[in-house]
Formats: sequence, C-alpha cells, structure tokens
Amino acid sequence: MDKGNNKKTSKILVFSTEKISDPAIDLAGLLKQHYPPSVDVISIPCSSGIKPRWIMRAFDKGFDGVFIAADGTDCPFSDTCEDKTAGIVAMTHELMDGKGIDKARLRMAAICSVCSEAFVKQVKVFTDYLAGAGKSG
Amino acid sequence: MGMDPDRSKYDVIVIGGGIAGQESALNLADSGLSVLLVEKDVSIGGKMIHLSKVFPTLDCAACITTPKMSETARHPNITISTDSEIVDIEKNPDNSFSGVLIKHPRYVVENDCTGCQDCEDACPVIVDDQYQYGFVGRKAAYVPFSIANPRIATIDIENCILCGACERACAADAIDFTQKIERTGVTAGSVIIATGFNLFDPAVIERYGGGGFRNVITSMQMERQLVPTRPFNNVLRPGDGKMPDNIAYVLCTGSRDETVGNPICSQVCCMYSIKQGQLLLGSLPMADVTIYYLHIRAFGKGFEEFYQQSKGMGVEFVKGKVGTIEQKENGDLIVRYEDMREGRVKEAEHDLVVLAVGMLANPEAETLFMGGKLEIDEYGYVKQVDRLRNPAKTNIEGVFVAGTASGPMDIPDSIVSAGAAASESLSYLKRAR
Amino acid sequence: MNKKIGVYICQCGSNISDYVDVERVREVVEREEGVALAKVTMFACADSTQQEIVKDIEEQELDGLVIASCSPKLHLFTFRNVAERGGLNKYNYVQSNIREQGSWAHSDTPEQATEKAIRSVRAAIARTRLAEPLVSPVISSERTVLVVGAGIAGLRAAVDLADAGSKVYLIERDHFVGGRTAQWGELFPTDETGGAVTADLYEEVINRDNITLHTGCEVVSNSGSVGNFDIKLRIAPRGAKADTDAAGAEGLDDFEKRLERAIEACPVEVPNAFDFGLTNRKAIYRNSGGFPLMPAIDFEHCTRCGECVNICPEIDLDQKEAFEQIKAGAVVLATGFDPYEPGTDEFGYSSIENVITLQQFRRLIEISGDTLTYKGKDVKDIAYIFCVGSRQTGALDGENKYCARHCCTSAIHSAVLAKKKFAEIQNYHFTRGVRTYGKQESIYEESSKLGDIYLQSFEDDPPVVSCENGITSVKVKDVLTEDRELEVDADLVVLVTGMVPRADKRIGEIMKVPAGRDRFFNEVHPKLKPVETVLDGIYLAGTSQGPKNITETVQSALAAAIKTNALIGKGEIELEPTMAKIDRALCEWCGKCQEACPFDAIDKTEFEGKAVAGVNESTCKGCGMCLPVCPVNAIQLIGFTDAEIETMIDALAD
Repeated sequence: MDKGNNKKTSKILVFSTEKISDPAIDLAGLLKQHYPPSVDVISIPCSSGIKPRWIMRAFDKGFDGVFIAADGTDCPFSDTCEDKTAGIVAMTHELMDGKGIDKARLRMAAICSVCSEAFVKQVKVFTDYLAGAGKSG
Repeated sequence: MGMDPDRSKYDVIVIGGGIAGQESALNLADSGLSVLLVEKDVSIGGKMIHLSKVFPTLDCAACITTPKMSETARHPNITISTDSEIVDIEKNPDNSFSGVLIKHPRYVVENDCTGCQDCEDACPVIVDDQYQYGFVGRKAAYVPFSIANPRIATIDIENCILCGACERACAADAIDFTQKIERTGVTAGSVIIATGFNLFDPAVIERYGGGGFRNVITSMQMERQLVPTRPFNNVLRPGDGKMPDNIAYVLCTGSRDETVGNPICSQVCCMYSIKQGQLLLGSLPMADVTIYYLHIRAFGKGFEEFYQQSKGMGVEFVKGKVGTIEQKENGDLIVRYEDMREGRVKEAEHDLVVLAVGMLANPEAETLFMGGKLEIDEYGYVKQVDRLRNPAKTNIEGVFVAGTASGPMDIPDSIVSAGAAASESLSYLKRAR
Repeated sequence: MNKKIGVYICQCGSNISDYVDVERVREVVEREEGVALAKVTMFACADSTQQEIVKDIEEQELDGLVIASCSPKLHLFTFRNVAERGGLNKYNYVQSNIREQGSWAHSDTPEQATEKAIRSVRAAIARTRLAEPLVSPVISSERTVLVVGAGIAGLRAAVDLADAGSKVYLIERDHFVGGRTAQWGELFPTDETGGAVTADLYEEVINRDNITLHTGCEVVSNSGSVGNFDIKLRIAPRGAKADTDAAGAEGLDDFEKRLERAIEACPVEVPNAFDFGLTNRKAIYRNSGGFPLMPAIDFEHCTRCGECVNICPEIDLDQKEAFEQIKAGAVVLATGFDPYEPGTDEFGYSSIENVITLQQFRRLIEISGDTLTYKGKDVKDIAYIFCVGSRQTGALDGENKYCARHCCTSAIHSAVLAKKKFAEIQNYHFTRGVRTYGKQESIYEESSKLGDIYLQSFEDDPPVVSCENGITSVKVKDVLTEDRELEVDADLVVLVTGMVPRADKRIGEIMKVPAGRDRFFNEVHPKLKPVETVLDGIYLAGTSQGPKNITETVQSALAAAIKTNALIGKGEIELEPTMAKIDRALCEWCGKCQEACPFDAIDKTEFEGKAVAGVNESTCKGCGMCLPVCPVNAIQLIGFTDAEIETMIDALAD
C-alpha cells in the first residue's frame, strides 16, 4: 500500500458558499484546473454562518485540514461578512488551542465567484503544508 | 387568460421547437399565456440538442437543452405538436390569426409508446441516421435519439417495408399503421416564428471536392463525433476509420461568399471551430489542429478569452483563404491556400478536413402565411422591420421573429432574442385588450 | 426516521462516466442505510429519466431522493421539481455534485475521483436521511419594478414592463434620458438617428400612466430584497421642474425659443460632456435634442447670477435635492457602459492634438457643418486604430481581455457616414481582424467598395502614432503585405475605443450585484439565465452585462422585462424556507444574534416568562450569521442544521 509513511494525502474539508465560492469551485472543474481529490466540499449559504463546532467535528473525525472558502467582500448578505468570518476563525482557534490542535490546520481565504485559480492554489498549498506538517496534529 | 379548454384556440402560436421556440414559449407560458408550439420534427430540441459542448463555457449542449425541453413539455400552458406544420396562416378582421395545423402520422400512439425500442430491434430495415449526420444507420422503426422529447418511437414510412415486425414486437400495442394526416384549424392572437436556419451544404463547392472526398466532413459531422452519444465513441475519419492526427478547419465555407449567394458572416463558425479544436486536443492529444481563417470573429462575452485560450492550448491559426482541396490516394488531403501573411499560395497536407459550414435562411418561413405576406430580407431571413426599437417585429402586426429565423446568431443571442420576441408578443396582446 | 431513499447516479453522457466509475459508485452506495434503490442513468435530466424517477418515487414509495450529477447550480430546481411530481417534498431531495467537483475537477486521477464521488453521494444520502419536509413561505410582492438607467435599454424595458401590467419607476442619473444612444447620429443598419430613436421611446414612456420617470435620480440605499425592495432614491435638483414640458398657451415653438434665450444669457462656459468635451456648454444646458425638454442647471458651475431666471421664470435656482422612498418587487439594472478612456499617450491620445476617440468622432460628425474640421483644420485623411482598450492581450497587455463587440461595425459605419457626408474623405483602417459578424458584413462590404483601405496590422506589433513637423502619421507592419512597414499620414486619428464597465460602481455595491471576469455585471449563466443575476429579483438589461450593439441591447432589455414580469406578475413569490430557528427553551436572550443579523430580522420576544430571540420570517434571508455567535447554540438554520451538517462531515470523513 503506502510506500512511504508521509505519502498519505491530506484530507481537507472545504466550507464553501452557495452563491460565491461554490461557483468558483465549480469553475475550477469546468476549466479542468485539477486539485487534490482528497478535498471535499460542504456548501452553505454564507461563510459567516459556520459554527466552530462543525469545524471541530471535522478535526475530530479525521480531517487533516479545514478550509473556509469565504465570501469576503462579495458576500450577498452583508458587508460585515469578512469580519464575521474572521471572528469565527478566531473563536475556533481558541477551541483548537484548548485541544492541542495546530491552529494552522484551519485556513480561510476569500474566494470570489470566478476565483477558480485562487481556490486551486489555496487547496494545493494547504495540502502540501499539511503533508509537511506530518502527524504533528 | 390561461388554458382554453378549446384545443384550437391559443394566445400565441410559436412555430419551431428549437432553443429559440422553447425559450419564447416558456417565457409566454410563465406570463400566463397559452401557447401552441409547433415542431415539424419528431422531437423538439432543434439543432442545439445535437451539438456536443457549447462555447464559451463548454457546457454540454444536452445539459442545457434537455431540462428546457422537459420544462417545455411539462408546462401546463404549453401544448406541443410534433411531426407538425402549420400552413395558410392569415390575419382575420378581428386581428386574430388562423391557420391549419397539419399533424403527420407517426404510426405510433404517442401515449402508449414507452420508448422501450423493442420495435427498433425487430425492424429489418436499415437506413442512414439523419441525427448522426449519415455516420451510422438506424432502423425504419426507431426512437429518434436517446434524449429526444418525446422519447418515443416513430415509423419512417418512406423506408418502411410494412413487414409488421414492429407491430408484433410491441408489447404496448402502440404501433398503428392506420394513422392518417390530421388537419385542424387553430387560431391565436399572435404568432412567433422560430423556424431556425439551414446548414450550408458544401456539396455545391466543387473546389472542395463537391462532397466526394470521404475525409472531408462538415463541422456538424465533427460535432456528432464529439458528443457523448456519438456514433463511434471516438473521433475517426470516415474514409478508413483511422484516427486523424492532422486536422484542418476551413472557415467561411458557404459564408461571406458571393459565389454561393451568401455574402454575410454566419457568426458562429469561428467560435464552434475554436471549440471543436479545443475538444479535439482533449480527445486526440497527439493531433495537430489548424484553422484557416479570414478574420476570427470572437466577439461575444467570454469569446475572445476562449480564442486566446485555444491558442495557448496549441490550436494553430493560419490567416489564409483556402482555394482548393485535393484528395491523395491514401485519402489524405492537400489544402491549397493563399497565405495572407506571406502573400503567396501554399500547400499543406492534412488527414482530415472539416468544412466550417455556415448558416442559411430557412425558406419555410416565407411559406407560412397565406399569399406569402410575410416579408423576407435580402438574405432570405424573416425581415426585422424595426431593428432598433422592436427587434422581433415583422411586417405583419402581431407576428414576431425569434432566434436564427431572423439571421445568423449563436445560442446565447438566440435565447435573448427569443425572450425579446416573447416580450413584444405579450405587450402586443396586452395592448390589444 | 426510517427513510426509503432512491439514488440516481448520472453519467452525463460521458462527462461523468469517462472519469468516475459510476457502476462502482452505485454498488457502494446501494448498501447504505435507507437506500431502497440505486440506479445509473445516461442523462438524469432527460425527460424520460425524470419520468422514470417520478414513477420510482410513486411505486416504491420513496421518501428521499439523491441525484449525483452536475452542480446544483444547473439542475437543483429541475430535480426538486421531479421530487415534487412524484409527491415528495422537494427538500427531501439532495444533489451530489460529482461533475464540476468530481469528474471534471479530477479527470487526471479517475480512481480518486470515483472515491470522492462515493464520499459525496454517501454524504448526500446521510443528509437526506435527516432532511425534513419543508414548506416554502410565500410572500406578497409589489407589482412595481425599479428600472435603473434611462438609456435605450431602460426606456425600452420600462415600456414592455408597463404594458404587461407592472408599475414602473424609471430613474436616470443624468438630467436627460437616452443615455449613450442619444449621443449618436445615424445608426447602423437603418440610418435612423440615435436622437430620433430615443425621442420615440421617451414619448412612449411619458404616455404611459404606470411609468414614473425621475431624471437626476439615483439609488441611495436598499434594505429589502426580492418582492419587497425598500429603496431610497435621491433626486438631484434640476433647477426647474422637469415636467414643465407643457408649453401652455405660449405654444411649443415660442417656449423653446425662450428656453434657448435663457441658455444664451448664461455667462458661464464649461466643457460639454455630451460632446465628449469637443464643445462647450453653459451652466444651464440641454443635451442636443435631449428630453425632458426643460434645461437643467449645472449647480457645480452656476454662479447664480439669475440671468436665465429673468428670461425664464420656470427656472428655480433654489430647488433642493429631494428623497423618495419606494417599494419595488424587482429591479432591472440598465446602467450601461463607459467608453474606454485611453491613457495619456496611448496611441498619441492627449499628447498629439488630432488623436480622438471613436465616441468623439461620432459627435464630431454630428456637430460639423458641410466640412469636417477638427481644431480648425480640414480633415481628409482619417486613420482608425481598432481595438483600443479591448482585446488587451499579448503586446497590448491590459485589464480588458474581452472584445468590445460593437466597435468594428460602429467604426466602419462612422467612416462610411463621414465619407458620404463630407467631400474627399479617405479612410484607413488599422484593424486586428474585422469583426463585422452576421449581417453587419454588409457595412464592411460597402466601405470596401467606397474605397476604404484596410490594413490588418497587428497582433503583436501595434501601430505607432507619431507627430513630426505638425504631420501626424500612423506606422504599422501590415500582415496583409508580408509585414511590410507602411506609413499613413492622417489629418485625424480615430482610436476605436470600446466599452468598459461603468466607473461609478455605487449601484452594484448598493444592490450587491457581482461582476464577472470582465468586470461587467455577471449573469447567472449565458444560456440558462442570461439576464438574471444570482440575486433573486435583480435583472440585467443591455450593456451593464457586457458590450452589445443597439439591437442586442434592446433584445436583452425585453428579455429582462418579460422575466421580471413573470416573477412579480402574480403578486406573490415563493421563498426558500432556509431561515434561522430559535430553540426558545435554550435561548437566554443575550442580544448577540440580533447584533449579528444584517437584516434586522431578530427581535427580543417573550416565551414562558423569559426573554428570548424571535425571528421575523419574511425578513430573515437564511444567511446564518446569527448561528456562530450564540453562546448556548440555540439557533439552527433550517436545511443546514447541526445534525445535517455533522452527518455529512461524518460521511465525508469515512
């Protein structure tokens, strides 16, 4: 099976948003901009609506990383979205700290509705980081 | 408004069930009007349903069209009549329109057929499949294509030998050879013409082989080789079944060409050739694709970017007018062209040549109205009499034109133009009340 | 709940099955708890398959449905509809995206694409197991449409909206309607003037009782959404009532003459934006042939000397700005484009005096008398440089990668106009490949026959405009003559500038309409929803969505009109049931959710003697911003509950 023990691909859970980042992730597929297939996506209305407990659940169940593909300034609901999503990350970081989970295993970036390249780059870099971080989490 | 229980009275008759006709019908039906959609073919869907992926987003045409087809078919305000034509339309003194709806027999009871294709298996007759543009055969009893709507069988009576095999095979008892042509009078307050276009037939161009070279195909034939429901499950040249590795596209075949009587640009050939080039590089990674062009007309939203992308992928663009095509003994082709950059005539060898055929007006539109009252423009398309204010308006008040019946157009433009025709028709009816 | 779930895995022709082993997916998910049947289909969206699914739901008494196919953006509604036709609640349907986020994204690793698809379908099944049947709330909708922009698109959309029975607010930021079209003279292909076309449409608009036209008006804020946009308008002072068009006893001719005299009396002169600065206008002004008839005061430059008021007492220099609050069920954005403004020295622009833009040239043709003169000099030889500000790839690297679509035809038509109107004109076209698509080919033909010279000059070597000893010349390597260097001396160089999105982004920001890669407002899908935006109830008309000629602009305006009418015509709109729900037993009212809500949808209420949060269903938009801030986890988002999200996480993690 595995030839080297660091060969295991890192599992990433992406929280994307129905109107903004999800179209970008779709566009990445449409343009065949490949990214690691160990990236799974759950789509929700807005990145400011992610509960920290969902993220913690993902770590608990074995995801190596969680990526929030945030609405950023494109949020169709509110221009406070960017700050609010950042607040969720901060809240989750505290919980991660408490459990001794490397905070770098949660990442966030704004992905606009046509930012497919940005998405692909983000998850590739994240995958590489997580592979390098090894089993420390 | 809404549905009239009288099956012969509608708010609007839409003629043509291609993408423009469906879009017009859906817009009107969503606005609460009753629509009769008349389609001459055995399925709605028009030309678009037979395309592979469509530019510039590379969605598969079927993915866009099939849901629209089922939405149209299901809509409570739309009545579809396939295998049908409408003739002798005239305007009545009360400004309504009346015409004769002719429904040709399908020899299959529409409501009983399940589309199981047992009749097809039983039928002993094999003829060219028009929906695969001649690449493969089909039976005389057949379901037209896998995503047809309605997806039920029909009997091609011209080629049928009346052996009765299909009748015996049909568990649903749906075959009925006693069906006759039905004629019904229909009336409506407004008419939308969405009769589409015809493809240019390159057989009239002798210098391109006059249709005689097996490895010279039309772009529509290439389109069929690229669709998921394609005949060979691969791109093959028809002459010998070899996988081509050096493919040429001849743009403006039958367009911008006074000698064939079509001086205007067909608006779609550049883009579909670029698209096919991209798809070919995907399915035949080793192949070279060369596009001979006069001007690349990548004008729509996202088109220029799509063109640049294809250059980046390795599609070769040669600015040059193709003079003649000659066939070698092994089936390869010699393309003689005037290289406009170098100002001299050159030759290149290709193993498959695709003629990017253009759009021609569908002459049927001219015959719809009694006495040829509908005005046609100098290129044979339905004349738009007020292009800047009411782009769908024709010379007959209450009659509107949608999609390529009014001139060459790509799919996004056809859809928007169909929306406009529906809006003008709706406003016309509302103002009349 | 004991669910019987039907699962369908779509091949999408071969779009999915080329990379994802759909049969393997089927075999695996068939064994999932609650799955009653699992099938592979060629096209799940085809009508015959839809009917098959409906039949399965009915015959097998399914109470959950999963379709693994393309992105829900394409077919969520198609399949929800299938579920409903089978008698299922549509929210018991869950779509798994194994195309855009499966086969296509991972076409390089088919095995792993298959594994990912299995996870995705299992997650969808898990979610379906928990999915509750939901009832969509129905809201009443205003039968009113706000059309923003009274250029040709806005004017034309307003007419059809009104005729179909909607009440229309048509607002125009400028003091005169007609937009860009009003600025052009003869138009291709009918040679009617832009002024005449917009005058006709203005007439149609003011003759309709159900259209309210506000000029000098813009949107300041919006607090509502589909069905009930709550919009604040600001109406800038015109300095006169716009509707004093009625000339009264005086008669129209005399009234107009008096207005002209009032304008003449104004001592202030500023560059005239309507003529792109080619002429000056007064601080009291009318656009040539513009409507409404009444002049407007340019308060930025007016000195309040009162000369105009002496002649024309209808003028009111003390008029104040006004605000109006309106309700609209839907909004049509017909906000148009800006012409590309070349940079300093871009092809000699603004550094060489006889280099102008296409838009300026069109005005120049309009305002010239019998001879074409520019800055006092006769113009005979005209060089046109195409694609300025468009198709900026390769050597012309810039942010506008797109083709501006209308400019080839517009430039050639202008050249033909100039040639017909003035003596001894010679046109030289420096093109990058002429794009007179469709029937517009005829104008290219005509210009060639009239003797226009075409040099297809450049892909990588753009022409160079220079000026020596007062002679301006254009130099180019012509690809049509073996890249020979050619030089043309020109009396006037016309930069064929294309369309760019409006520099003023405010309306997009207020209504939160996203832009595409080209920075124009983005439609949802060019073929499925070409005039719709991702925001329910907001539609796009004309060039706000991308470059178009006039016919295409009107077509898109009409398409937007009929869609808008269909949406609000019934007076009620069905909404998504996704909204926040408070567990009142848990809630300890702290007010954090109220603070987080961008829609003021949360209020303090009472429940069994304690203060708790209450959600207003018609204003809650289901964003979920209140969820993470609740310290006691008392808020669930319907359709995205903890149970649903967590079961998906569990399924994906396996």
